[in-house]
Amino acid sequence: MVARIHVVTDSGSDLPVELRERLGIHVVPLTVQFGDEIFKDGVDITAAEFYARLQQETRMPSTCQPSPADFVEVYERIAQPGDTILSIHLSSKMSGTYQSAVLAGSMIDPQIKVEAVDSKSASLGIGVTALIAAQGVQAGKGVAEILQDVQSVIDSLQVYFVVDTLEYLQRNGRIGLASAFVGTLLSIKPVLTLVDGQVAPFEKIRGKAKALKRLRELGAEFRERHPDKRLRAAVSHADNHGEAAALAAMLPDILDLDTEVVVGEIGPTIGVHAGPGTVAVFLYSV
Amino acid sequence: MDVINGLAFKNMLLAAARHLEQQKDKVNALNVFPVPDGDTGTNMSLTLNAAIKELEQAENAEVRRLASLLTRGSLMGARGNSGVILSQFFRGFSDGLAHVEESITGEDLANALAVASQTTYRAVMKPVEGTMLTVARVAAEYAAQASAEGAGAVEVLQAALEGARAALADTPNILPVLKQAGVVDAGGQGLVCIFEGFFTGLTASPEELEELLAKAAQPTPAAAAPKVEQEVSVNRYCTEFIILGSGIDAVAVRRELEPKGDSLLVVADDDVVKVHIHTDHPGQVLEFCGQFGELTEIAIDNMRLQNQEFASHEETHHLDYSVGNNVINFPNSAVYAEPKPLGVVAVVPGEGLAEIFKSLGVDYVVAGGQTMNPSTEDLVKAVESVNAEAVIILPNNKNVIFSAQQARELTEKPVAVVPTRSVPQGIAALMYYVAEDSLEENLAAMEEGMREVKTGEVTYAVRSTVAGDLQIEERDIIGLAEGKIAVVGPTPTVVARDLLRKMVDEESSVISIYYGADLDETAAQELNELVRAEFPDCEVEIYRGGQPLYYYIVSVE
Repeated sequence: MVARIHVVTDSGSDLPVELRERLGIHVVPLTVQFGDEIFKDGVDITAAEFYARLQQETRMPSTCQPSPADFVEVYERIAQPGDTILSIHLSSKMSGTYQSAVLAGSMIDPQIKVEAVDSKSASLGIGVTALIAAQGVQAGKGVAEILQDVQSVIDSLQVYFVVDTLEYLQRNGRIGLASAFVGTLLSIKPVLTLVDGQVAPFEKIRGKAKALKRLRELGAEFRERHPDKRLRAAVSHADNHGEAAALAAMLPDILDLDTEVVVGEIGPTIGVHAGPGTVAVFLYSV
Repeated sequence: MDVINGLAFKNMLLAAARHLEQQKDKVNALNVFPVPDGDTGTNMSLTLNAAIKELEQAENAEVRRLASLLTRGSLMGARGNSGVILSQFFRGFSDGLAHVEESITGEDLANALAVASQTTYRAVMKPVEGTMLTVARVAAEYAAQASAEGAGAVEVLQAALEGARAALADTPNILPVLKQAGVVDAGGQGLVCIFEGFFTGLTASPEELEELLAKAAQPTPAAAAPKVEQEVSVNRYCTEFIILGSGIDAVAVRRELEPKGDSLLVVADDDVVKVHIHTDHPGQVLEFCGQFGELTEIAIDNMRLQNQEFASHEETHHLDYSVGNNVINFPNSAVYAEPKPLGVVAVVPGEGLAEIFKSLGVDYVVAGGQTMNPSTEDLVKAVESVNAEAVIILPNNKNVIFSAQQARELTEKPVAVVPTRSVPQGIAALMYYVAEDSLEENLAAMEEGMREVKTGEVTYAVRSTVAGDLQIEERDIIGLAEGKIAVVGPTPTVVARDLLRKMVDEESSVISIYYGADLDETAAQELNELVRAEFPDCEVEIYRGGQPLYYYIVSVE
């Protein structure tokens, strides 16, 4: 039997179901908790249900990484001895998910090779990395070559996102260096970024419209910095399809793209931390 | 009198200060703009009073010594643009006298006035004729003419006074805005008053002089002397400690401690919460916080007994806390950090605005603005109090920019002035402030940022006037867009709405309204609803600014 390569990610990757099914990407869910109620992201609760629930709740939900056993279960189900699993996950600075995957890799049949990858990103930042890997598999590339592609996506990836409020990042302890933006008495729409796998402040902007305009400008600046590269882009949103779709529609021109912009909904895993209304743009070169 | 000796020179300066003080309301009334901030006379008088303060005490009446005291005092005391120009006038005047051995001759005086005039021209980037500059220049020209004809010192001064008066009378012919308002230039009038005082000081009989100088300086209204705002704590014990424990609810800690004192700061990291509070009951505070975990590094100072030490404590540490009384989540607790590379001083009218500026990262707020222009010295002190290697100043008023630039020259620290002309510009500039970046990077980004907003102000007319095709009666409510009268109307609410109609366009996305000390929240809410209904495409935000005289300050971006 021919050795195969499998791509696994986690529910923080926010890839549209249709896309990941077409590419055969497996998703291991994190859990989201409202008090004592525990839901597996995408299994027991949909994004729509989650945001509806969030509106009614006074308690702040929390998330929990999959256990190594959860990974072992998936790995052993999908792979045969001799296969390789590329397991691409949430930034290790933000979640223990990657750590669980690494541990799981050492717990299964040693004939199944697990390459755990720290995407140093979140949401479609993980999603597009997994996407590149799965496209490599479809194209018949070898593991080493795919890992190289994956690394170049991770290296070139720029993430900018706008949250409606910093409250969610702050209350869940994922605010990182952007804490410098907290405590202002004025309403500010912060533009944030990820630096070295952590949330970092980028700019303070007054008003959502201006913040979204800034995301477009940042797209243009990314193009200017990479004049000769083939660029790709993705947009994800937390219960904010309108603004995300409008942004995604403008990116092909701004970035001079030859592929479609992937648009994904931010699910509970990331939604807990970013909060409803968030719009994120992911820019990278291939 | 052919020459002016040290004593006569001193009398001349003191007489000028007294005379200007008596005339300052007359000068204030010449303000072209009918808005309640016509304080050219007040600013010039306060500047001159500061200049002569040390000189008044000086035992040694040597001309050169008096001149150098005059320079230092006026530079530090300069308030408002007119005050800054006046201080530059005195600086030049003193420089011109630097070589005088004993007494000032007519020629010395003419030279000094020429240097004074040149210095004022150099001090402004774009000299405008028909102002104080012209008055100083023509006075110097008349003085030079008299001196060339061999006149003595008093005659030279008399000529200068004539020149000053002639130039002043001509200012409306040079500047149409003056003619339209039916006034002469206020700064020019102030300078004429100073020349008049000089002349009186030299020529009055000893009795007259005594009478003039004995008129004790009217105590300057307290409001005119801006205070550097500092938290004055009524509570006795400065209490600081650390709570060690996991999952401490910093919000709860803060909520419980709030009623127990002031200057509260709760800084939370994962397993560490640092608490700072001024309280009369440190025991209760410690007892309460002990529930949450182990207490360590406890320090309690009695601030009343250690007043001196406390003052320095406030200056060195306290300013770092001015992120406001918010619970902030700082991984590495930068709030308690050592001296920082960069800090910000802002001039802000109103305590609501002061809180907003502090929450945006300003280290030191100098109270002041439209009616109370802080002196250069106030700004120098503020810059030096900030525990940072370099400091950015946000003047937030067109009449403070100049003093801020002068403050930059008078302090050792590297200082950059972002020339914000209004409160909204100051806030817009702060959006681009990045404490970790260099002074130069911040200056460039903030200067660009400040241009992203349009400023509107709503106040009342202090006198009747015509502005363009608007007929304005005294006490009418007027709305200014970017400093120009755009709207007149019966109530602040209506004027603010009409003003916004002129300011908002299809590019606009955020309207911020800061309501003043003379309005309550109900009035502000009324405007808020009106504006939301009128501009559904904009985000509308309303905050209490607490500024005097200006019912509303609005920004559109």
